[in-house]
Amino acid sequence: MTTMTAQATQVYQLFIKATPEAIWEAITKPEFTIRYYHGARIENTPEHHRGFGPNGEVWGDSPTLEYDPPRRLVHGWQSLYNPEVAEEPESRVTWEIEPQEGGYCLLTVTHDQLEGSPKTAESVSGTGWMMVLSGLKTLLETGDVLDADRG
Amino acid sequence: MTDDDQVFKALADPTRRHLLDRLFERDGRTLTELESELEMTRFGVMKHLRVLEQAHLVVARRSGREKLHFLNPVPIRSIHDRWIDKYTEHRVAALADLKTELEETA
Repeated sequence: MTTMTAQATQVYQLFIKATPEAIWEAITKPEFTIRYYHGARIENTPEHHRGFGPNGEVWGDSPTLEYDPPRRLVHGWQSLYNPEVAEEPESRVTWEIEPQEGGYCLLTVTHDQLEGSPKTAESVSGTGWMMVLSGLKTLLETGDVLDADRG
Repeated sequence: MTDDDQVFKALADPTRRHLLDRLFERDGRTLTELESELEMTRFGVMKHLRVLEQAHLVVARRSGREKLHFLNPVPIRSIHDRWIDKYTEHRVAALADLKTELEETA
């Protein structure tokens, strides 16, 4: 099924043994994202979602659409790190953090509004989001870094 | 039951695997759409979807008045990493090649 077109709405859901506050910090602060987000320094403020590569190159620069710590973050997405897909229209990423029993949180990441951005949809699907999310889980649960490149 | 148990249990049924395949082809479907492709009552499909949701293989999201069902690839990936990767070393690949070769020449 390798010829499948990537979906215009992608949903990823996983349990992480961490507090909502710790997860929020890990997804909004560059000193954490650099350890699991393909080496990107990502900064999520109430106004902006900005990502920078190891040499300061701009990998992402989109508005923050909702900012409700430590439960819900919605921001725009453009894959500026890849010139081939950078021109595609902005899509949207929603992070939802729901506390569960036993010290776990359910994290749901929805990447949608990808109808006009098929190449972006393709590039973030498969291992794209999966690597980021397993790295985030590993970092929060063990303090280890899944990916060797710390930048 | 652990998360893995729930995933294996959910996968151990042909109808539920069929539902996952339908969602793999196209995500974000309603119960009515999924039901129309199966020889099964609406209640039956709902029951299967509930098992898939409990295993977090399917995530239901509201969109206006509709409830849309999405495939969540994370649990299958975890099972793949934990149970498949480590058993698919070269030796297994070599045996699989041998089987294909023998069957083709037979």
